[in-house]
Amino acid sequence: MPSFFLLNVHLQPGMPADEMLRAARRFGYTAICVYNSNNNNEVIMPSLNLNPYIYMGIEIRTDSITELKRKLRHYWSRIPLIAVHGGEEKINMAAVKDYRVDVLTHPCGEKWKGKELKHQILMLKYAAKNGIAIEFNLNPIIKSRRSERVRILKRLHENLKLIRKYHVMPLLTTNNRSIYDLRAPREMIALASLCGMEREEAIMALSEIPAGILTRRWKKGREVEQL
Amino acid sequence: MREKRRYLLFEAICDAEVGKHELQNAIWDSIYSLYGDTGASESRLWLVNYDSGIGIGVLRCAHRTVEEVRAALACIHSVDGVRTAIRVIRVSGTLKGVGARTRMKAGALKR
Repeated sequence: MPSFFLLNVHLQPGMPADEMLRAARRFGYTAICVYNSNNNNEVIMPSLNLNPYIYMGIEIRTDSITELKRKLRHYWSRIPLIAVHGGEEKINMAAVKDYRVDVLTHPCGEKWKGKELKHQILMLKYAAKNGIAIEFNLNPIIKSRRSERVRILKRLHENLKLIRKYHVMPLLTTNNRSIYDLRAPREMIALASLCGMEREEAIMALSEIPAGILTRRWKKGREVEQL
Repeated sequence: MREKRRYLLFEAICDAEVGKHELQNAIWDSIYSLYGDTGASESRLWLVNYDSGIGIGVLRCAHRTVEEVRAALACIHSVDGVRTAIRVIRVSGTLKGVGARTRMKAGALKR
């Protein structure tokens, strides 16, 4: 059985990371990566008690490329995982061109409502070249119903074909904000199969790809830093 | 001819206590919504047992539809307005195999 990693965990204020880790381990995950940023993009460092199974990450949210570059410079050597909240085409493009970025989250907007990946082929090529993973957020499938879910599944199907074609690394998450957003790895695999993902692909997206990002397998020039 | 069945031992992690009837409705709603009438009927889903006190229950389904039922359970995010997450603990071909009775007798699982 592979080790599964849970990325994109946002802790609510006052919720200890250890509690989330305990819940995640009960669900079958080995380690979690906590993304912490408030609305002003200030990183909140939780008391992690040097737990080796809790990794620290940051999700950079910004509308300006200059600001993005500044934040990447600032956080790169301090935080093991850097994610960029995408959605806008210019931010997506700037993020994937920079080798310091590890994950591009919400490439088509939060509910997959933004510009489709088929209009961002160049972005996918850069992501593949720089080893940047593209997040497949399954939370909208869980939270939506009827026509909304049909639209999201259709988009995920199309995006998956492009991800395969350009050999980009997909990453499965559910955008956890509380323990009620957690889904076990096998449930995630079942959910991923709804959008056409093969079982092996889904296992890779939950285990090897996040493990590789967290241990810097693809970024040889950078030291592994574990908080 | 009798079809093969699978029993799924699951745990519902809820904000507040949820009754068996409400949970059953939520599971049916979820599977109808995902797979439609034919898909739901093929799954032959039945909530065998649910202990609302400890949040553990047993679902029965057709053996070919375990993955579909898993996906439907994963799509449940609230039951009657109560935030809920469901995880499948064990799948077996017999009720004895899932060990539901012993687990329920022993009280809650290790939390």
